[in-house]
Parts: sequence; structure tokens; C-alpha cells
Amino acid sequence: MKHFKETLYDSLYQEFRIDKLYFESRTDHQHLMIFHNARLGRVMTLDGIVQTTEADEFIYHEMMSHVPLLAHGQVRHVLIIGGGDGAMLREVLHHPVAQVTQVEIDQAVIEMARQYLPNHSAGAYDDPRLQLIIADGMNFVRDTDDRFDVIICDSTDPIGPGEVLFSEDFYAQAKRCLAPGGILVTQNGVPFLQPDELNTTAQRMGPHFIDSSFYCAPVPTYYGGHMAFGWGTDNRTLRHVELPVLQARFEKSGLQTRYYNPAIHQAAFALPQYMLESLAGRD
Amino acid sequence: MGSGRRIMIGAAPDEADVWQALVAEHGTPLLVFDPAVLERQYHRLSNALPGVELHYAVKAHPNEHIVRTLDALGCGFDVASAGEMDLLMDLKISGRRTIHTHPIKKDREIRDALRFGATTFVVDNLDELAKLVPYRERIGILLRISFRSESATVDLSRKFGCAIGEVAGIVAAAGKLGLHIKGLSFHAGSQCEHAGQHVEAIARCRQLMVDIGKSTSVPLSTLDIGGGFPADYRLTGIDIDAWCGPLRKALADLPGDWHLLAEPGRYLVAPSVTSITTVTGKSERHGVTWYYLDDGIYGSYSGQIFDHTVYPLQILKTGETRRSILAGPTCDSIDIIAEDVQLPELGIGDLVIGHQMGAYTAATKTRFNSLPDARLVCRESPS
Repeated sequence: MKHFKETLYDSLYQEFRIDKLYFESRTDHQHLMIFHNARLGRVMTLDGIVQTTEADEFIYHEMMSHVPLLAHGQVRHVLIIGGGDGAMLREVLHHPVAQVTQVEIDQAVIEMARQYLPNHSAGAYDDPRLQLIIADGMNFVRDTDDRFDVIICDSTDPIGPGEVLFSEDFYAQAKRCLAPGGILVTQNGVPFLQPDELNTTAQRMGPHFIDSSFYCAPVPTYYGGHMAFGWGTDNRTLRHVELPVLQARFEKSGLQTRYYNPAIHQAAFALPQYMLESLAGRD
Repeated sequence: MGSGRRIMIGAAPDEADVWQALVAEHGTPLLVFDPAVLERQYHRLSNALPGVELHYAVKAHPNEHIVRTLDALGCGFDVASAGEMDLLMDLKISGRRTIHTHPIKKDREIRDALRFGATTFVVDNLDELAKLVPYRERIGILLRISFRSESATVDLSRKFGCAIGEVAGIVAAAGKLGLHIKGLSFHAGSQCEHAGQHVEAIARCRQLMVDIGKSTSVPLSTLDIGGGFPADYRLTGIDIDAWCGPLRKALADLPGDWHLLAEPGRYLVAPSVTSITTVTGKSERHGVTWYYLDDGIYGSYSGQIFDHTVYPLQILKTGETRRSILAGPTCDSIDIIAEDVQLPELGIGDLVIGHQMGAYTAATKTRFNSLPDARLVCRESPS
């Protein structure tokens, strides 16, 4: 195959030229590819859907890590579910956290990403603060006695291996293992083309948190405009941290970012009208 | 068509040498696949149906050599099960060129299809439509209509397909559920003698789609004309271009921006596979010579039962003929390939060649008597 054609939608698709195929595997009903594209750098796809590209992964990973961590302000223990490519871990470890627990279902994904997407983890897997657990994320949140200040659910799409991470049971169990005032963030698709995913998450997550909402960032290769991130916490104030506070935390952190800044952080919680209407109109 | 069996006695020496050499190398029972013949069939049909995207009906013969050959030609695929999708996935074929056409599906099947990358699904009733609601953001739906066929050997409109009168109601119901019906599909039958049924179905679909398009904001613009393109089981030399003539004319009347699909299976693969079986025993019984072969109707000749097809047979020997029966290898008395045929006397080890045996042959074989499958070997492509 000389081109990758995404199979996410029937009536439209994006197509990437494959300039060099680094890796392709087809195991257990799962088709994984890593290839180079002249414009996007290395691209990873799973079951015909773009998972991450070197060119724009920073937007997704900065927004899913820095927003909850800087909103919280005193994060010591973070749980990452999924995220086998290592980029979420890389961003989280830029913060002065005491420990990061990463639960990835497939060791092979980590090995493959370290080899073929080395810039994603950029050495993060060697950090002594990491506790890496190869297990099902759902089982982990059901069984663990640990409590986390932030849980980041860096899942695949709802149809596929990450399916259970979109279930109501998962949100309930994730809530159970949050420390008081802790925050759960989840990847939630592209609401312009996937409004059902937004509404379903709102329905399933809502009952388990005092404050449940979404924030947004446009990730160009997640075709269709804004990507939504689910946000669940029992501390209502965390969604409205004032700009000077965020600014101070950001400066203190010394983070080098390419998308995130405190103004973007605040603005990301403002949802476009079509999303608000979609959420308001749900059953 | 039971009376229409062709039996050829004798073979040109070089032709016989080819079969003998294959048997020497691979043994029997054997199926010999010739990619050049499949390529020729694909080109003939695509030239006869310009503007129609061909999707090979994988069920006709789910074999990797066949699928690979068609993939290289740019052919699409029509799948009806997770197993068929697995075959394509094993060959790393993208679901983008695949349509899922089984009208009845389990939820698991829908999810597997989406993970594979097939986003076109077929339905023919409201219950089936409801199953697709959770996936409505990703998919396009074809509504299958039933047109009963008089001329086809196998009537595919009895088991599946909604009545014409139901179409508008189902399209409206889909709209309310947020589902996108993008067009219609039909199956005029299998092994159709002429395209009359297709032509009539196209005209009726055109009218339905135009009428529905006027009353909804989402126009129907895809028409899947199914299969039915005939294989040449009587070796009379079917001219597919001529066969498709009326079809082309009917398609030319459709709006130019419609998407046209077809699901050929039999026409493409039937002539590309030849069966070779060996006489393993014989006996004289009531004045008839019985020959027991190492392949039969529980194996490659299963299409004689399930597909109601008889295949042209060829004996390499010549000589005075006598009343003979060709029987398969199982213990069952139903396992008879050809009864009351006039054949020259065969010896143990002689070969019986079955032609036009690519479609619905190995696809429906059984494991009865735990006999070994006919092995499929691929002939070297001359190119």
C-alpha cells in the first residue's frame, strides 16, 4: 500500500501518502501501522484510524496533561491509562510529580513505539518515578487501593480495544480511585463528526462527578475540527482557576510548550455553540 | 440446467502434459488456479461495465491467491462475515475498498467490520436498521430490495430484500434514527441467462431513488447492482460484453453523479480454477462401470448440491465409450459427480478434469469422512 486511507467515516476520509513503512502488524483482529509522511513525520494508525503523528501530537498530549495538572496545582500521583506511545508520560514527567503509574494493556505497543516512535516517549520510560503496569485499565481501576490526583485516560476509539474505557462502570471506578479534589480527563473524539460520543460520555460520566464537562483543542490529524476531552472532578473550582494563578504555576513549572499556555487553558473550557446545543439536546 | 453437462473426451498432448505435471508435483485432489484467467475475466467485466466499481464477492471462493490477484488489479471486495474480513486483513487489504453486504448481522460483526474498515452496510428491515444506530456517525447504508427472478438458477430475492413498497418508509425511519441510507442494492439472481432482470431492477431503483431524493434532504446516490454475471458452464463462449449491453444502456440513464457498484463472484473466478481428481478404484455393477475418484460432492464438487451447478468434465484418454458413473470418495451413496455418462475405459490413476470450478466449489466443501481437502495451487502467471 502506498497510501493510507482512513476508514473512520463512510462518506469522507483523509488520505496520507506513505513515504516509508516502518512497521505493520496484524494480530488479534488489530491492524497497526507506523509510517513516515513527508509533512507529518511518523504516523501511527490502528484499525484504519490515525492514532498519533509526530507533527501534531504535542497539541493532544500537552492539553491532556498540563490542563489537569496545572489546574490541580499540587499533583503528586498521576495515573495514565493507555498511552503506550509514551508521549503522555513524557509530558506528565515534566511536572514535579512524585510518581506516575501507567497502565497499558499491551507491552508490545510500548516496545514498538519505543523503537519506531522514539520521539514520543523521548526516554520517559527510563524515569525512576514511573511505575509501569501491563494490565487492563478497567481491571486496574476496579482493584487498586492507590489514590491519584489526576487520572488521564489516553484511550483508543470506542470501537476497539479501548471500548471498556468509555463505559459507565469505568467512570465510576476511576472516580473511586481519585484522591479528594482529583481530576479525571479522557479523550473524547471529534464532536463535529462524532456528537454521539460526546453525548454518551456526558450521560455516563455525569452522574459520578460533581463537575463533569469537556474542554477542547483542535488536533489537525484528528480530522473534523475540535477534539473534546472529558473532565470530571468533585472540585467545581478547578475548571475556573484564575489566569494569574495558572500563569504563576506555568512559569514555576518551567514547561516548554508549543500549544499550551494559560490563556489557552482557560479558553479551552469554552465550548462552541454546536457542542453546547448537542449536550443540551441529549435525552 | 442438469442436462447441460459438457464432457470432453481426450486432450491435446501438451494440455495433458500440463495436468500430468501438476499432479506429479502436487498429487490429487487438486484445484489449479490460473491468475491470468482471473485477470482476463476482471478486465472483460470492468470493460463491459465502465463506471461500475467491482467488488469481488469473497464468498464465491475465499482464497488468498484469488484475493491477492484481484487486489493487485484494484478490485474491491464484498464480504459477508468476520471470517471473510480476516482473510482480507491477513493480506493487509484496507477495508476502504470493502463493503459488508450481509443483510443480517450480530452486533459483534458490525464492530468487527468497522475495525476492519468496512463502512458500508446493507439492511432490508427496520430491526436491522436499529442495530446500526450506535454506529450511525461512521457508516453508509444500502437498502436491499427484493426482485424475484425468473431466469436465474438461484433466486436470491426470496431470503433477503424488502418489497418496493416498503422502501420509502424504511428510508424515512432511517432519517429519524439519524442513519444515512445512501442508496439501494438488489440481487437479480445468480448465473442469470440474460440481463433483463437487472435492467428492470435498475429502472425501478432509479425511479425510487429519484422520487425519494425529491422528498428528503439527503439524496440517495449509490446503486449496487449485485451479481448474477454468468459463468460459462456449458462452454458455449459467453460474450460478457454483449450480455452487459442492455445493462450499460440502463445504467447510462442514471444521473452521472451516482455511484455504481457490482458484486461479481462467479463470473470472475469460475473459469480461473480447474479441478483434477484421480480414479482411485473401479467396479462393474449391473452393466455400468463405476469409477471412484478422490474428490466428490462433499469436496470440490459440492457446488453440484449447494449451487445447483454441473461442471464441464474432461477425460484425457480417448477410446470406445461405455456407460459410466463417476463417484466421489465418501461412503455416502449421494456422493456421485456424474451418472450415466459415456466415457472411455479409465484405469486406476487416470485423471478426471473439472472445468469452470472456481466459484462456490471449495467454498462449500465439507469435512465429511475426514477426507483431505483438494489443495489449491497457483499456476505461474505468464506475465
